[in-house]
Amino acid sequence: MSTPGIVVSSGIAFGHSRILKQHDRELDYRVLPLAEVESEQTKLKDAIAQFVQLLSVGLSKLEPDSEHYLLIEADILFLEDEELLTQLLNTIREQQFAACVAVERVFAQQVNLLNAMEDPYLANRAQDVNCLRNRLIAAIHGSISHDLENVTKPTILLAKDLTPAEFALLPLDKIVGIVLKTGGLTSHTAILARSAGIPALLSCDFDDSLQNNQVMVIDALSGCLHVEPNTHDLETLERLKADDQLRKQQLQKFKHLPATTRDNVIIPLLANVGSLSEFSLLSDVGADGIGLFRTEFMLMNVSVMPTENTQYGLYCDALQLLDGKTLTIRTLDIGADKEVPCLTLPTEDNPALGVRGTRYFLAHPQLLKTQLRAILRAANHGKIRLMFPMINQVEELDCLFDLIEECKRELDNEERGFGELDYGIVVETPAAVMNLASMLPRLHFISIGTNDLTQYAMAADRTNPSLTKAYPSLSPAILKLIMMTIAESKQHGVPVSVCGELASNPKVAPILIGMGIDELSVNVNSLLELKSSFCSQDLSTYKKWAQDVLRLQRIEELNHYISHCS
Amino acid sequence: MYEKSVTITSKHGIHTRPAALLVKEAKKYDCDVLVECNGKQASAKSLFKLQTLGLYHGVTVKVFAEGPQAELAVKNVSELIITLS
Repeated sequence: MSTPGIVVSSGIAFGHSRILKQHDRELDYRVLPLAEVESEQTKLKDAIAQFVQLLSVGLSKLEPDSEHYLLIEADILFLEDEELLTQLLNTIREQQFAACVAVERVFAQQVNLLNAMEDPYLANRAQDVNCLRNRLIAAIHGSISHDLENVTKPTILLAKDLTPAEFALLPLDKIVGIVLKTGGLTSHTAILARSAGIPALLSCDFDDSLQNNQVMVIDALSGCLHVEPNTHDLETLERLKADDQLRKQQLQKFKHLPATTRDNVIIPLLANVGSLSEFSLLSDVGADGIGLFRTEFMLMNVSVMPTENTQYGLYCDALQLLDGKTLTIRTLDIGADKEVPCLTLPTEDNPALGVRGTRYFLAHPQLLKTQLRAILRAANHGKIRLMFPMINQVEELDCLFDLIEECKRELDNEERGFGELDYGIVVETPAAVMNLASMLPRLHFISIGTNDLTQYAMAADRTNPSLTKAYPSLSPAILKLIMMTIAESKQHGVPVSVCGELASNPKVAPILIGMGIDELSVNVNSLLELKSSFCSQDLSTYKKWAQDVLRLQRIEELNHYISHCS
Repeated sequence: MYEKSVTITSKHGIHTRPAALLVKEAKKYDCDVLVECNGKQASAKSLFKLQTLGLYHGVTVKVFAEGPQAELAVKNVSELIITLS
């Protein structure tokens, strides 16, 4: 049995399960007899004192000013807050509620206030307040500690949620992985798991019937919890773990280094990502940012389009996780070949040549406007580059820029803040290459999508297995199209990046740089290998390789050349 | 009464950790220290209340205090708000 979750800290962990029982207790909403008010108030104060005491013990084990320390200290300040105490005591007295119900009510109000915050980073604190509420209610019931002292073997901890304080108190020499039902990438527990380097899955809806001491494997590479995997799966996972560790070890030295040639020319190397989970992998490889954020993942497994606010929160999360590094968002790229449950797409004879990418959204501008507004609003919190897929003609850009202006006017009228964006297109059709001169004056950057560019240049469906020969990943034609794109862009002073598979190939990437590509955006998993590939030669060598390959006329000559240059 | 207006420069606003630092600073003084923002007021000594003010990046807040050490409290708390990150 396996359950998906969001990877917040990558790796693979084997261990025995330990489940933290955090039952949602049935609260007793009955009105208290007046005589019991005072004893409930005392119960509350005792519970707070007990909770604070537990946190203080944790605090004493930590380095002052460490990340953990400050978070726990904040929890203590919150619990000892006089205004909070007054409100709780008043709720017990005036409404004659039991201590638990008062906590439930007062904390719920706080959570509502926090959830209403415009800034998603501040709104996220609602999760932390919820955690504190659950623990305080548990303390009132007299069951606050989790008793993990007796954990002796490698353990995978499963829980509904975990406060930063509880995280800090974990015996981290024994806990090899963490799985939580709640939490997002920017929750405090996610930050802590990442900094501790413990494989962790969040928002993982594991089965409530799971028991302690079951064999479990967290695959925090692909984002999956395996419960009692069979021998075959265990072997596969063990191999994956060994590979992962070896690869990480060998490429570790590149982690904090920029990608450079042997003569120290820096090559901006960004990552392609298709989910928020993958953001947590970026710091493992030292990417210079995101060169392609595929936003289609938002539409998977949902029955309605995510709202503007949901998307806004997501883009703000992305900005926050990148902490100032480049964020390049591609607007939704769907088509009849990529089915999404929340949109009804037409059935077409030639989906690859059909209503896909920006074509679909120009026909449904309201859907695109939702995304544009969310991105514009998020740009108020950090720099965003926006690019549009499947653009052939400058008229399409006219329509898009009109929509953007419309969104800005609306946001202005609603007095919502927004920021300016850098605009680009994905160059993925031969027509786009031919029409660059008319489009470049309106763009800040462009990115070549080599997979689709090859498919459309070769008129070969890349999903058709009998066309593998007709769809070569590297060919004289694609190199010529890339070269034309570079030449035209240089004339307009617009930087060119490559975000297709070609850029992830450690043999081809140096040649792209030699041709004059300014930046590459690649799979997260290829990034360290590319860094190691770039530093083997000087830039002048890559330029020479580029000149050589551009003269080759046959695919087999090309393949032979690149396999021998190193 | 002493007061001073400052703008929040912290990139993600005054979230949990900076707010905790703010509360610790305010608690050093005997006087009441208040923060006003978006027309709402809260004691600078209450994390619970501060959280709900909406202390976003770029927002201007007024710090004010009355009583013993008020001048020093306003000076130090407002300076801290500017330097928090």
